[in-house]
Amino acid sequence: MRKLLSGLLACALLLGALAGCQSGGASSSKSGGQLNLYTWEGMFPPEVLEGFESETGIKINYSNYDFGETMLTKLQTAGGGEYDLVIADDYIVESVIAADLAQKLDKSKLPNFGNINPVYQGQFFDPADEYTVPYGAGVQTIVYNPETVAKPITGYADLWDPDFKDKIGMIANYRVINGMALKVLGESYNTGDLDKIQAAGDKLTELAPNVRLIKDDNLQDDLISGEIDVAIMYTSQVTLAKLSKPELEMVFPVEGIGFGVMPAFIPSKAPNAEAAYRFLEYLLRPEIGAQCFEWLGYYSTNGAADEHIAEEFQDFLTLPADFGGDTEMIENIGADAQDLHAKIWTEFKTACGQ
Amino acid sequence: MSRRVAGKGRKRMKRNRNSPFPAIYLGLVLLLTYLPLLLVMLYSFNAGRLSSVWEGFSLSWYRELFRDRSIFEALRNSVVLALASSLAAAVIGTLGAVGMARTRYRTNGIIEYLSTLPIMIPEIILGMVFLAFFSLIGLPFGMTSLIIGHTIFCIPYVFTMVKARLAGMDPSYVEAAKDLGAGELRAFWDITFPLLRPAIVSGMLISFAMSMDDVIISMFLTDVNVNTLPIKIYTQLKTGVTPKTNALCALMFAFTLVLGLLSLWISQNGKAAIAAGNGDRGEKEQRL
Amino acid sequence: MKGRTGLRGRAAALALLPIYFTALVFVVGPLAYMLALSFLSRAETWGVELTFTVRNYLGILAPVYLQTFRQSLRLAFLCTTLIALIGYPFGYFMARLPQKWRRILSFFLVIPIWTSSLMRLYGWIIIFRAGGVLDSLLMKTGVVQQSLKLLYTYPAVVTGMVYVLLPFMIYSVYASAEKMDWNLVEAARDLGAGKMQAFFTITFRLTMPGLLSGVVLTFIPSMGLFFVADILGGNKVVLVGSVIQEQLMKAHNWPFAAAFSVVLMILTSLLIYLYRRITKVRDLEGLV
Repeated sequence: MRKLLSGLLACALLLGALAGCQSGGASSSKSGGQLNLYTWEGMFPPEVLEGFESETGIKINYSNYDFGETMLTKLQTAGGGEYDLVIADDYIVESVIAADLAQKLDKSKLPNFGNINPVYQGQFFDPADEYTVPYGAGVQTIVYNPETVAKPITGYADLWDPDFKDKIGMIANYRVINGMALKVLGESYNTGDLDKIQAAGDKLTELAPNVRLIKDDNLQDDLISGEIDVAIMYTSQVTLAKLSKPELEMVFPVEGIGFGVMPAFIPSKAPNAEAAYRFLEYLLRPEIGAQCFEWLGYYSTNGAADEHIAEEFQDFLTLPADFGGDTEMIENIGADAQDLHAKIWTEFKTACGQ
Repeated sequence: MSRRVAGKGRKRMKRNRNSPFPAIYLGLVLLLTYLPLLLVMLYSFNAGRLSSVWEGFSLSWYRELFRDRSIFEALRNSVVLALASSLAAAVIGTLGAVGMARTRYRTNGIIEYLSTLPIMIPEIILGMVFLAFFSLIGLPFGMTSLIIGHTIFCIPYVFTMVKARLAGMDPSYVEAAKDLGAGELRAFWDITFPLLRPAIVSGMLISFAMSMDDVIISMFLTDVNVNTLPIKIYTQLKTGVTPKTNALCALMFAFTLVLGLLSLWISQNGKAAIAAGNGDRGEKEQRL
Repeated sequence: MKGRTGLRGRAAALALLPIYFTALVFVVGPLAYMLALSFLSRAETWGVELTFTVRNYLGILAPVYLQTFRQSLRLAFLCTTLIALIGYPFGYFMARLPQKWRRILSFFLVIPIWTSSLMRLYGWIIIFRAGGVLDSLLMKTGVVQQSLKLLYTYPAVVTGMVYVLLPFMIYSVYASAEKMDWNLVEAARDLGAGKMQAFFTITFRLTMPGLLSGVVLTFIPSMGLFFVADILGGNKVVLVGSVIQEQLMKAHNWPFAAAFSVVLMILTSLLIYLYRRITKVRDLEGLV
């Protein structure tokens, strides 16, 4: 036993040492400063990060969080310091700005600021575009497999059809899913009226028999393997699904189109703000932007990048020409409305399991 | 005493060998333990970007993996963290369990309860209160805070297992050692510790695994400079898990397997040499 | 009761120092913070307000939240029972193997749990999915004609839970069974006890502490491992851990999540206490 243990310990140490050499070699090669980047894992293609490092000599220190809420908690504890550039979801960035944890951008350091697609600017989280540069956007669509779904789907209301019994998969984001029921009832995503939210909850419970699964991770796999026929999922998942199986149908629901943006901001006490500006400016270049969005699978927020995006991605990374009808973003709502949303969501999930 | 035990041990094993059921059972459960892991490894050779739908053979994800230097940095951090916290938990948990068995303080019960609480609190809330508490007492975030946090949730595993092993342990060995004039520490080190070793090792192996897999507490307690492997794996929320992660698992598996087998082989050979020189001493040690 | 573990008086008190320290500082501190939090009010969008309220505890009484407690308990009981049924024989058989094989087995058992549990659960998705490994196997052998659609069902969740937590039980039972004095079994057999009778009067009683620690180490986490229910159950089994996570990370209601955690902690402690009383393991622990 002791030898086994000491053997394993020795192995682990050896492994650590090996990895140490590798990373040590990589990190000490350049000395042009550092950029502490804080966002989800896998947001940039490796060549974009490497390109920036070799061009500027700045070392990118990429750390990750799961939910924006974790990020905000950490950022609050650090008093707006420690991190240089953060990318998060729109609603949480609104809270960040409200808590004075982001700094106003000096646009003179961002000559490419004009490349941003204005559709994603002037939104609720940063109405005057003072703090943020959007990095990718998600559009809420329905995707279905036309081989197994006979009737074409045009909107959210179609999902309540009993023919879809046990055939629908959806992401575990209750503002999106509860919001879908609100949309079917003709309400806003952001209504604070508790009766209307409760009505949406009741409506949602009727959908339960049709729901096969609710989850955030790799939902596209289930659509492609035939586990489900209809899916409501994140834009990057839609992109992955369409790339693997182009015949899938994508629907912009008639009830209205919701979308979300991932804004990048510089925290109020960022230690290396200059490096953050340089990185933002780099990302706003059209060719770099195109590389990023093809990798990420989200809608391009860099208008100038659109023409550089490869043909196969054009359909689902750039906005359709007729986009704009009834669009609405999901915004922060009051405490009571939040609590009710959380409650009807738990009820909905429980109903799905019955 | 031990000679008698060894003799009986051989007899027991002979009796045991008659039934093939234990071997079949152990093999079957072990196989089921490996099946999902092997499938995950198989999908690391997937040509597509999906981690569970097969789209053809390719090595591209391994290329991708080796390009990502931050993964190896994270791996090193995770190993250091898991080693340090499982070791610390082993020391604190073992000393605690032994100390409690030896003293009759009224507070022992409550401390034992408190020590096992961290595994009763959901990780997410534990992470948040750790964050708040650590910043309150001014502890800097980074490797130190990570090691402390992980040690706290690893202690219950070592403590519980060592305590179970202590229960009903034959006290005569220790008394014999003392009769022969061994001091407190000497008796502990020579007698109690070897007796407890299987429990300590089990607790450490589990602790190591828990630490290597923790993401939530780590995320709250780390700083910009220390990323761990689970954080990288679990935060791919926007792009989804790609076969690159499968490749990483396969690589880690292969690495632990090769080095583990190597250490097994070395220790086995060492044992064989000792056994050849000393008759059935290995058997005696086992009985203790 | 004296001199049995090799540490006496001051040495034993010293051994207790680290665990008293970690429990009193790093468990009590965060715990007090959590308790305080559970009596505060949530802020309108983010954070907490310093106003005392018991509203959070009253909120838990809503039928839907009580239902999640029932579901969690039901799943935890079922999984712990299955884990004990599968893990106990494994640990027991493992302890009866010759030392060389014990080592090899304990090594092979630990390798899978050192890789990410998320990825290992993905392995089960590949097995369970429509047209996946299990489906094709059963259809080829003619056992079933149609896809079983096993993924995202209750049995899939149970399988995942048992899979993730089984090693805890195995290592606990093993650590306890490995030190057993088989002479007692032999003696019982010599005195005419049947195989079964000898097992239940001697072996089972003596390995009870291991089983108990295994139950504690599997029951507690199975109340909180909601990601298993998410990944393999498609979120349709709502566990307490899942509600707590959503209250923190999505509804931003920290005090409610804290209250939920406090109730969960009390409930778990109570069940573990009752379990200890019923199985009367204290008798055995008295031997130490």
